[in-house]
Amino acid sequence: MKKILSVVVMVALMLVSVLTFSRQAQAEELKMVGTISKIELSADKKSATAILKDSKSGEEVTILVSDELTLDKFMDKRIVEGDEIRCKFEKMDGKNSSKMFKKTAGC
Amino acid sequence: MSGKITVIMLGCALLAATVQAKEHPGKEQILKEGYQGPKTCETCHPGKAREFLGTVHWKHASKVDHVDNIDPNEEYGMKNRIYTMCNGSDIVNNLKEVPPNALGKTKFTGCNTCHPGDHSSDVGSTGPQAEQAIDCLICHSFKYDFSKRKAVKSEDGKVVMTQDRSTEAAANIGRPTIKNCMACHEAAGGGAMIKRGFSMAQKDEVHVTKGIICVDCHQVKNHRFPTGRDPNNWANDGIYMTCVGECHSVTPHKDADYNRHIAKIACQTCHIPKTGGAFSKDFTKWEKQSNGFYEPSTLKREVNETAPVYAWYNLTVSNTPHFIGPKGSRTDGKSKIYPFKIFQGKAYFNKKDGKLLSMDFASPIATGDTLAGVASAARILGIKEYEPVPGWQTIYFGSNHQVAPKNKALSCANCHALNGVLNFKELGYSPKEVEKLTNPELYFEKLLKLQQENE
Ligand code: HEC
Ligand code: HEC
Ligand code: HEC
Ligand code: HEC
Ligand code: HEC
Ligand code: HEC
Ligand code: HEC
Repeated sequence: MKKILSVVVMVALMLVSVLTFSRQAQAEELKMVGTISKIELSADKKSATAILKDSKSGEEVTILVSDELTLDKFMDKRIVEGDEIRCKFEKMDGKNSSKMFKKTAGC
Repeated sequence: MSGKITVIMLGCALLAATVQAKEHPGKEQILKEGYQGPKTCETCHPGKAREFLGTVHWKHASKVDHVDNIDPNEEYGMKNRIYTMCNGSDIVNNLKEVPPNALGKTKFTGCNTCHPGDHSSDVGSTGPQAEQAIDCLICHSFKYDFSKRKAVKSEDGKVVMTQDRSTEAAANIGRPTIKNCMACHEAAGGGAMIKRGFSMAQKDEVHVTKGIICVDCHQVKNHRFPTGRDPNNWANDGIYMTCVGECHSVTPHKDADYNRHIAKIACQTCHIPKTGGAFSKDFTKWEKQSNGFYEPSTLKREVNETAPVYAWYNLTVSNTPHFIGPKGSRTDGKSKIYPFKIFQGKAYFNKKDGKLLSMDFASPIATGDTLAGVASAARILGIKEYEPVPGWQTIYFGSNHQVAPKNKALSCANCHALNGVLNFKELGYSPKEVEKLTNPELYFEKLLKLQQENE
């Protein structure tokens, strides 16, 4: 019984990983660490764009942020220009949509 | 939901909502005369600043009476404890500027950045200057500009923490919101949701969904914060709380089958099925970041990705160099089964006495040289005889937040099925008892009926 169960679980896990993998391949997920050079909130405050300067390449990347928690942090300036950010984003329809946007921090 | 609970929950939620909407009676005077720090508040709230200096939030320490191998007459807390979630203390990692890294960059670091003082008046300081240094607004203002709270070098070269003391911030005050509390609590352990791994977003926590916030559950009186018995939250203001109290009784369910379990199983066990955050760190090897600084290598998960480990807990704590966690057993008559997030951290131990050594992060952050960090910490603490050897420590963190929607609470088969979440054998049940506890007889009829109702 346990064996069958674990085989089923394994197959399920493999399926899940294959599925998530192919989804990622479709909408490429990228990572970067960079310093914010500009934050601009949209008029309705439901989204914002942040320009991050990649710490490695120096290249500037524009990120679209739409999760409430991060927007709130822009508004009360818990995250400001000059902060260093660890970001994950998806490239879709020519836009870089943020999936994670956190201040870097040591312990 | 039972009628009574609905009423109480609604009550709690309404209370939270109305209090927020209410305007602070001091607003006009503050707008007129500006904000000069705590003394402005004290014109109408005398004694509040002095009172605050006596609490854990200012002292980062208190006497502790439920933990093994410590001195009952000493005070313990973030000020002086060392463990492997954060391998230092306020004393060792006192706020300072780190030496320049390979790219010539430097930054400020220190545990006491999460202290509501200005660093000149630091953790545990007393007297009139300390009273006036308190950042009342970080907890009480809805319009706090967090970009004004940062470490800077003053003209005389001292490192200080600045605050938002604007009239705008002071004119918009009231009971602390989740955001005020999370200003420090979210990033404990080295980054957002790293240590506790719980989210207080509306979609993740049933109480927050209903408008219930930190201070509705933690009913703070005279700045003394009630807390629980998490094995790694030692410092306390002398007031304790559990899930049971004003809002919930010990028989919260209509279904007696659940209520019967409460004698042996803590509410959190069924109601907090997942947390997240860091589950392992290595302080002996730091990773280089693209900005040239180093960070302790950390394995972590999202907030709902870690299943807890379940253990008997009698609310007293085993504390040895390699283990900090719950004591208790099935048979001591005091323990219940609680959920914990297990964390394992690697750091240096002193070969001479077996104790965990602490680390000053300034050098490791800049150069990755962790032994230089140990040497600096030993100097600060006056430890002369030591020989650092790497080793692991296991820590149990209580899972006490992020209560899941009730359809995600553990139900009969989550525990009593053969592949259930509890390891009955390890929890001390005999083979015969395990057989009984994993027999579908216990729940079959009931779950079948539920299934029929839902089909
Ligand atoms: C053995 C598991 C278990 C334990 C222990 C347990 N609960 Fe529950 N609880 C559940 C489940 C499953 C549900 C959802 C199904 C239901 O309401 O019957 C639930 C529902 C609830 C509800 C919603 C009731 C409603 O009618 O909507 C509340 C409130 C609650 N529990 C509080 C508590 C408190 C407080 C404790 C500790 C004193 C506790 N529970 C302990 C499993 C448990
Ligand atoms: C001009 C007088 C005055 C000043 C100045 C003043 N307050 Fe108040 N405050 C009041 C009164 C009156 C109340 C309502 C009665 C009470 O709870 O004591 C109140 C209530 C509060 C409450 C409870 C709010 C609630 O909704 O439960 C807090 C918190 C508070 N004040 C904080 C502060 C802080 C922090 C300052 C300084 C920035 C301050 N007050 C300055 C008069 C003042
Ligand atoms: C971002 C704010 C923040 C920073 C920075 C921070 N802490 Fe903490 N720390 C907290 C909070 C909040 C708690 C209590 C709540 C908890 O444990 O979830 C805590 C608790 C602790 C405890 C447990 C204390 C007790 O009473 O048992 C220790 C030990 C600790 N921290 C060590 C450190 C060390 C060492 C550093 C620096 C290297 C550090 N912390 C930096 C916020 C912080
Ligand atoms: C660490 C967060 C924190 C800080 C810092 C803080 N408070 Fe509070 N304060 C609270 C909480 C929590 C309550 C209880 C709110 C409630 O539940 O109504 C409270 C309540 C109050 C109240 C109303 C109830 C009472 O006890 O009279 C006043 C007035 C107050 N605080 C003033 C101050 C002043 C003045 C300062 C700065 C000297 C300050 N607080 C600093 C968290 C804080
Ligand atoms: C300025 C940073 C800061 C803010 C703001 C803050 N905390 Fe804390 N809190 C800490 C630190 C640091 C500790 C751990 C101190 C220790 O254990 O030595 C702590 C400990 C606690 C504890 C356990 C110790 C005790 O006093 O019982 C509770 C509960 C708590 N905080 C709740 C809250 C709540 C609720 C709020 C919002 C009103 C809040 N905190 C705001 C930094 C903060
Ligand atoms: C639904 C009620 C509830 C809410 C909301 C809540 N807490 Fe708690 N909290 C508790 C209970 C209950 C405990 C103690 C549990 C125990 O030990 O049995 C606790 C324990 C703690 C502790 C001790 C360490 C730990 O994790 O066990 C800290 C610190 C703390 N809470 C801070 C906060 C902060 C900050 C917030 C808001 C962001 C908050 N709490 C919101 C109920 C709540
Ligand atoms: C969190 C895990 C958990 C959940 C969920 C749970 N149980 Fe249990 N149950 C236990 C444990 C542990 C015991 C043994 C308690 C003790 O030592 O007395 C137990 C004991 C029992 C017993 C007594 C067995 C005996 O003969 O000693 C019955 C009957 C039972 N559970 C039925 C249920 C039913 C029905 C449900 C769903 C409504 C349920 N349990 C949900 C963990 C759970």
